[in-house]
Amino acid sequence: MTTLHDDATATQKAVDVSDPRLSRFDIVKEGLRRDEIEIITYESQFQGTNSKAEKRVVRNIALLFIIAGLGALAFLGFYIWWPWRFELGETLSDFYTPLLGISLGVSLFALGLAILAWAKKLLPHEVSIQARHDGGSPTDEQKITGQTMMFVADELGNGVQRRPLLKGAIGFGLAPIGLVAAAPLIGGLIENPHKDELPIMYTTGFNPGKNGGNLVRLTREDGSPIRPEDVSTGGQMTVFPGIPHGATNEYADSPTLLIHLRADDAQKTREAAEADRRNQGSMWGDYVAYSKICTHAGCPASLYEQQTNRLLCPCHQSQFLITRNAQPIFGPATRRLPMLPLGVDEEGYFVATSDFKDTVGPDFWERP
Amino acid sequence: MKRRKVDLQQAPVNAAKGVDERFQAATPLRALLNKVFPDHWSFLLGEIALFSFIILLLTGVFLTLFFDPSMKEVAYEGAYPALRGTEMSAAYESSLHISFEVRGGLFMRQMHHWAALLFMASIVIHMARIFFTGAYRKPREANWAIGMILFLLGFLAGFTGYSLPDDGLSGTGLRIASAIMLSIPVVGTWLSASIFGGEFPGHLIIGRFYIAHVLLIPGGLLALISVHLGLVFKQKHTQWPGPMRTNTNVVGERMFPRYALKQGGFFMAVFGTVALMAGLFQINPIWLFGPYRASEVSSASQPDWYVMFMDGLVRLMPNWQIYIGDYSIPPLFWPAVVGLGALTTGPIFWPWIEARKSGDKRIHNLLERPRDNPERVGIGAMAFTFFIIATLSGGNDVIADKFHISLNAMTWAGRIGMLVLPPLAYFISVRICLGLQQHDREVLAHGVETGIIKRLPNGQFVEVHQPLGPVDDHGHPIPLEYGGWVVPKKMNRVGALAPAVKGFFFPVEKPAEAPVSPGMPPVSGDTREEITSGRK
Amino acid sequence: MTSDTPAGRRLRVFSRRRGAPSKTRRRLGAAVRMVAALALAGGVYTAFAPGAFADEPRQLSATAQEGKQLYDNSCITCHGRDGQGVDDRGPSLIGVGSASVEFQVGTGRMPMVRQEAQAEQKKPQFDKNQTKQLGQYIQELGGGPQLPSGELVENLEENPEALARGGELFRVNCTSCHSFTGAGGALSSGKFAPALHDATPEQIYAAMLTGPQNMPVFGDNQLTPDEKREIITYIKVQLQDDRDPGGIFNLGGYGPSTEGIAIFLVGIVLLVFTALWIAGKS
Repeated sequence: MTTLHDDATATQKAVDVSDPRLSRFDIVKEGLRRDEIEIITYESQFQGTNSKAEKRVVRNIALLFIIAGLGALAFLGFYIWWPWRFELGETLSDFYTPLLGISLGVSLFALGLAILAWAKKLLPHEVSIQARHDGGSPTDEQKITGQTMMFVADELGNGVQRRPLLKGAIGFGLAPIGLVAAAPLIGGLIENPHKDELPIMYTTGFNPGKNGGNLVRLTREDGSPIRPEDVSTGGQMTVFPGIPHGATNEYADSPTLLIHLRADDAQKTREAAEADRRNQGSMWGDYVAYSKICTHAGCPASLYEQQTNRLLCPCHQSQFLITRNAQPIFGPATRRLPMLPLGVDEEGYFVATSDFKDTVGPDFWERP
Repeated sequence: MKRRKVDLQQAPVNAAKGVDERFQAATPLRALLNKVFPDHWSFLLGEIALFSFIILLLTGVFLTLFFDPSMKEVAYEGAYPALRGTEMSAAYESSLHISFEVRGGLFMRQMHHWAALLFMASIVIHMARIFFTGAYRKPREANWAIGMILFLLGFLAGFTGYSLPDDGLSGTGLRIASAIMLSIPVVGTWLSASIFGGEFPGHLIIGRFYIAHVLLIPGGLLALISVHLGLVFKQKHTQWPGPMRTNTNVVGERMFPRYALKQGGFFMAVFGTVALMAGLFQINPIWLFGPYRASEVSSASQPDWYVMFMDGLVRLMPNWQIYIGDYSIPPLFWPAVVGLGALTTGPIFWPWIEARKSGDKRIHNLLERPRDNPERVGIGAMAFTFFIIATLSGGNDVIADKFHISLNAMTWAGRIGMLVLPPLAYFISVRICLGLQQHDREVLAHGVETGIIKRLPNGQFVEVHQPLGPVDDHGHPIPLEYGGWVVPKKMNRVGALAPAVKGFFFPVEKPAEAPVSPGMPPVSGDTREEITSGRK
Repeated sequence: MTSDTPAGRRLRVFSRRRGAPSKTRRRLGAAVRMVAALALAGGVYTAFAPGAFADEPRQLSATAQEGKQLYDNSCITCHGRDGQGVDDRGPSLIGVGSASVEFQVGTGRMPMVRQEAQAEQKKPQFDKNQTKQLGQYIQELGGGPQLPSGELVENLEENPEALARGGELFRVNCTSCHSFTGAGGALSSGKFAPALHDATPEQIYAAMLTGPQNMPVFGDNQLTPDEKREIITYIKVQLQDDRDPGGIFNLGGYGPSTEGIAIFLVGIVLLVFTALWIAGKS
């Protein structure tokens, strides 16, 4: 191998490694020469052997190794004997994880420092120079490889070109096999979001269709129905469709916020709702129910400020004004929260007189 | 039978011979043992990422032994009293099981999570180092691109992992992910339905995320990390300019013994740091979050820090909806899909863009000091300012709450800051670079300011400068050429005084290492005449 | 909470709390409510009626007399004479009840220093006794919700599932503003939900009952006193008294934002310093 750049390595002479007079370091140096490396400095960091400084360094390193060992032993001790089962309150078990972490952390960090100190302080200080070779292979090599590839391409490509039958057959043979690989993925994975009779994108659990055609009651998370007086004035309640699994994630779009407004706020809200085509007649008394699912990214927009009548979404800070049909007044949401048409059935419980009239949840391309 | 005497001393030699006869390992092994690596603290930042990844693999395998990626509803009957009797998914139940009923399980979970945060943090810091020193220039463009893809994969690995416990916080994140998918024009609803297997959240997503998190993404990471390191190996590490350092050599230490030992020590230090953090700081207390319910949410719902920039962009986005006939594109699409896509893939092309702009086709193995390329520093400062503002905005509700600032004001501050601050950062950083450059040149031309004021016979006061190189006949320093490396600017840097604080930072810029120009021999303290104020 | 068998208790966790009551019971309930409403209306009237003749001295108990003294010194500027309220300064206190006073005065939010987006918690200006007196005065002025007497934290030995139920209710009703860890959170335009770390059971109960500031009201129909006690039990036992098992520091319970800060300030800083030391020449 010729060295183009580095004069230092070029000046070194090759040695015969079988020469018995060579020291081990001489042989190492021959290896370095072959790897185009020159050692500029390689010297002990201490003057003389067994100097005071060296002893101090050795002591420190030994200490670090001992700390590492003690830490590891402490870890094992804590791991085995420290009470670890969870208990309420301030108990010893609360320190199980911290003790494991601190003992292992100290142990490993000390081990790391010990190894580093050893490398840094005890091993001889070294500066080596190695040559690098950039800028591609020699031109003849490039040419040979290029021509070889062209040769291969010729053999295969021209062969096919000359034999039209093969060409067609290969195309016919390979294309379907490629499709075979894609078919189970596409066929199994792709779901049509609009296939159901009650399309999932536009239906919530409050759709009477989910309840055998009957109106769906509003319920608490435990399934109990709600009377108007159960919601305090200036209060709100998260309600779910009163159907099986209505409060579970199966109906992730259904959680709704039922709000009992104070009379003056209710008046404002009612005026706004009556003026709106979709929300007309959706309130019941001073009660209004909005979808809890933010129209922006789907978080529950449920931070109800009872005096300013705002609903805040904690994920992206969209703010909706309850008294104005839950119109967004701040943040990235563009669409108001859909209002659930409220009614009370003959037993005195809240029902949804129909499903939401707007699409619930985050927005999408084909939303009507 | 004749007993053959076993020569114990000869045994390893024979074994080694045997191996070499089969694998011809001697030559490549020697090249490996001898390989020279340059030494600088900033070259170790990428190692933090590598080591965190190893910790992630180790702790992650432990966690898989106990985790059940199923969304089947079960009633919790475990050790944690405040959730007993609560309906939850098996995934959440097994996460609680790991936290409370597996000995040391909580510690492992916390190590895994901290290592993930450290992995992403060190990737970003490492990337900043690569960028500001121009280490991505030819021939290393491909490695820069791979690095960016590693960030994206780490992002996905982090997000899928964050979602697995199926707790109240991560479920909210999943819901947002589904909303992001929905926001994509034309195919949004199809994409979301396909990934979740129907309507959100369905019963499949945890299982699907699980296989992605433990097999597909780590597989990709492992493969790309191998290529990344392989390329560093093949192309040899870049180095700073300095004495003896040229574009065609590497000055440093051989891999063995010293360099490898340092790497091993550093790995232990990283491991120890992660363990220490896992013990000191509680992370992601899922037991307080409860199982995911579509109706429940917490204030300050945030993703892990490396996703926060996207969340911040989503928060800052004005509510602009685009209507196209009967169809519409929700505002969520722009920051979350276009923004994330552009921010993670756009920088991939930077090395080629820069090369095209400057017409520079040379090979660069020497790094550039940031100040020597103000344009690049400006663009980098701009990008990082943007990233930091976006990330801070991802936590703007916590900032608003804890510092008593209006939430709405924080949003507006972010919106305005996003537009105003990056150009400002560009301008300021370019000016700083130019100023530093100029100061370097001044010192090279006139020498180091000594702080000694001399009064000339004519009454004029002048400051004495210590020349860094030879002087001409009149005693004026001959201007030196800039060598691309640290110029000593204080007297204690040229050895006139002992360093103020001994130890830590001083050796990094040790003057003996600092030639003022490639042609000049290093300055050494004893050949210079002592400068005093005149009073002995 | 009188279920005595463990099986009965277990069942309770999943069973509906309120089944639809029978017709007779409902009618009975309606009658009772009617009577109660009438009584309340009468009470309110008797409370209001003397207000029309302001000069006529009110029949106040001794405690309330003391409270009136304090009121006339510290509260009257904003809330007006006899708690009638002053436009643009302070709302009427008729009907807010002693629970509201316990909360607002007991947490130092009242008296306010100045008009602002939201009254801040600060060192209470009145001691426990004075707060009681003020509360009594307001109560006798216009009635309203009162704190129940008795323990507000459930005994977990007798009623162990109260904790889990309280947690469930906490996550449904409270976390959206106060956060999963009770660390509080921001609301719109400078308002906020405070942290729950220092809140006493009485304060939490009073806050739920009266809905101070922008907090929604959780009346006794909405969250029964038992449910309120369960929530308080969860806050007290789990969020306030339980030491976090995952570390010496819980980073404030602010979630990933502080975790992100920690990884840079602790992890990265520690390792960068290590790297500096490794590469520094010795």
